[in-house]
Amino acid sequence: MTYHWNWGVLFEPSPEGTGTYADMLLSGLAWTVLTALGSWAIAFGLGSVIGVMRTLPSRAANAVGAAYVELFRNVPLLVQMFLWYFVLPELLPARIGAAVKQMPDAPFYTAVLCLGFFTAARVAEQVRAGIRSLPRGQALAGTALGLTVAQTYRFVLLPHAYRIILPPLTSEFLNNLKNTSVALTIGLLELTARARAMQEFSFQVFEAFTAATLLYLAVNLVVVAGATLLERRLAVPGGR
Amino acid sequence: MIVVEAVSKWYGDLAVLSGCTTAVARGEVVVVCGPSGSGKSTLLKCVNALEPFQQGQITVDGTRVKDRATNLPRLRARVGMVFQHFELFPHLSVTDNLTLAQRKVLGRSGEEARRRGLDLLARVGLSAHAEKFPGQLSGGQQQRVAIARALAMDPVVMLFDEPTSALDPEMVGEVLDVMVELARDGMTMMVVTHEMGFARKVADRVVFMDGGEIVEDAAKDAFFSRPRSERAQQFLSKILAH
Amino acid sequence: MLASLDLSVVAASLPYLFGEGMVFTLTLTALAASGGLVLGTGLALVRLSGVPGLTHAAKLYVELMRALPLVLVIFWFYFLMPYLGAWATGAASPIQVGPFASALITFTLFEAAYFAEIMRAGIQSVPKGQSAAARALGMSYAQTMRLVVLPQAFRNMLPLLLTQTIVLFQDTSLVYVLSLTDFLGAASKVAQRDGRLVEMYLFAALVYFAVCFAASLLVRRLQARIAVVR
Repeated sequence: MTYHWNWGVLFEPSPEGTGTYADMLLSGLAWTVLTALGSWAIAFGLGSVIGVMRTLPSRAANAVGAAYVELFRNVPLLVQMFLWYFVLPELLPARIGAAVKQMPDAPFYTAVLCLGFFTAARVAEQVRAGIRSLPRGQALAGTALGLTVAQTYRFVLLPHAYRIILPPLTSEFLNNLKNTSVALTIGLLELTARARAMQEFSFQVFEAFTAATLLYLAVNLVVVAGATLLERRLAVPGGR
Repeated sequence: MIVVEAVSKWYGDLAVLSGCTTAVARGEVVVVCGPSGSGKSTLLKCVNALEPFQQGQITVDGTRVKDRATNLPRLRARVGMVFQHFELFPHLSVTDNLTLAQRKVLGRSGEEARRRGLDLLARVGLSAHAEKFPGQLSGGQQQRVAIARALAMDPVVMLFDEPTSALDPEMVGEVLDVMVELARDGMTMMVVTHEMGFARKVADRVVFMDGGEIVEDAAKDAFFSRPRSERAQQFLSKILAH
Repeated sequence: MLASLDLSVVAASLPYLFGEGMVFTLTLTALAASGGLVLGTGLALVRLSGVPGLTHAAKLYVELMRALPLVLVIFWFYFLMPYLGAWATGAASPIQVGPFASALITFTLFEAAYFAEIMRAGIQSVPKGQSAAARALGMSYAQTMRLVVLPQAFRNMLPLLLTQTIVLFQDTSLVYVLSLTDFLGAASKVAQRDGRLVEMYLFAALVYFAVCFAASLLVRRLQARIAVVR
């Protein structure tokens, strides 16, 4: 093997002139985390609404929810990314489309929207499964007490369902975090993109990728630790 | 208090209830019994519109259940219901179970709801468990909390859907005791149950159902001493045999 | 707007899109799924074998792969492969590995981790009494696995394995970052050349949707049939 390791490269200034290569990777990490959090907010909110729609007795609500899930699950994320970034501005009225294209940080906002809508379909499936796993009597009991449908979901069904699906939601959160790297194709300067740039500038390919790998693993560990804490805090005494 | 007039319900070709007519007067205790699948639980759930029905009419305290103008949540808030599997909300403490609907449906303040809830918890003999969660209580205790939860809404009538059939035998007594006391205090009650001892003790009337029909609707003594229909006789001999 | 879509661009590029792009996508999917399945089953068996060092190594591999973005893994292997090749063949300098071979190896190794988890759950879903019964009949560990446990596990897990393959089919579009000509790559090249991004990307989305939706319906029907048999 002829590869020459040089870990010192991380502390050499990057040609961008804004700091060292390590700074460059860390700024990539910041964009990755920011994008993951922003898109998760959309995914969690929208996914909960769609998931609830799929458990309502209304046929129309069910059909809309099912169509949403199928649409966003059966098109590759990269294609969705291109649709949001290249196609959507063209389909908007010309003036709005032009404004969207010139927006600063357009790749960031596009990635947040794209990942949010994409992950919402997966969150919706989990929420639906969580609600379906509750005994039917729970909804009946809420209704019998005079709670409205919305109140029954808000106070009885959802708090219980979220606790049940916390582990799969954690893995969806991690998937969403990893998926932010797909946004490098539309120019988001997230962690993988920055590692790639470092490799191109410095030719120290394995230092760049190893550092990025370690950063991803560190974020993973933080998320898993956070989820464990959350699970412990939300645990119901006497619950299974 | 409750008037059931010619109520019929079906799923496709399958009739679940056919032409059921009966009534429960204020302060009356009516026990509904019959073999499983006879439609008794379904009839009970029609009273507070948990189950829809296609024909007939049910009136609760002057309010028609099957009427577009009826505010169903408000009607249900005045009809207490106790379920076979308790259906306490497992993520809420006993106190929160008792106060949730008082606050969200009746609009009571947290303090008022809490006071009312704890009063009723004392009445079912579980004051010591106010801060526990349902998963930490026995089945019998859970069902007593569920009764207190329903009573906390100050209902005009209480519906019981086989309240003791999911319980271990040694816990049936504690729940029936609470129900007997409630009956003696003058609560209007409609109770689906196989507990004929309870029926003998406090029921005013017994309704016997089979195949979705009300086969017999008689005063307690008449029902137990001389049931008119053959089906009721068979049912009684089976259930009282041991 | 939609009225100004020029579908003749799509029509003219159909032979290229399918003859080259889709063939590449399907080939990569099929090869990586087969390789990943074999390797994944091996990983699952190793992980369940209880041999201390091996179990941990398999676990580490699976968890590492599942913690990293596929895009990063694609880059990793693209640059690592020449060195691994040199090491494996004893060559003095990095050897050339074509982008297709690199992508195939990447997807095989990556999918193996996901298949391994599905297989592990599948094997664990077979009641312990089954392997006890097989051992009681005098079968060896290998026979027990091959003849009794794995066939049942495969049936339980078939819908999940197929669903994961649909995901793989979608994920192969990420070879875009290596500028390979898979279906999306082909669509993208036409889009750039003719300046017809809207038409080409919408068409690509439509094709992916049609294929994946149809495949997922088939999986669902299969799932229903398996559920009835059980």
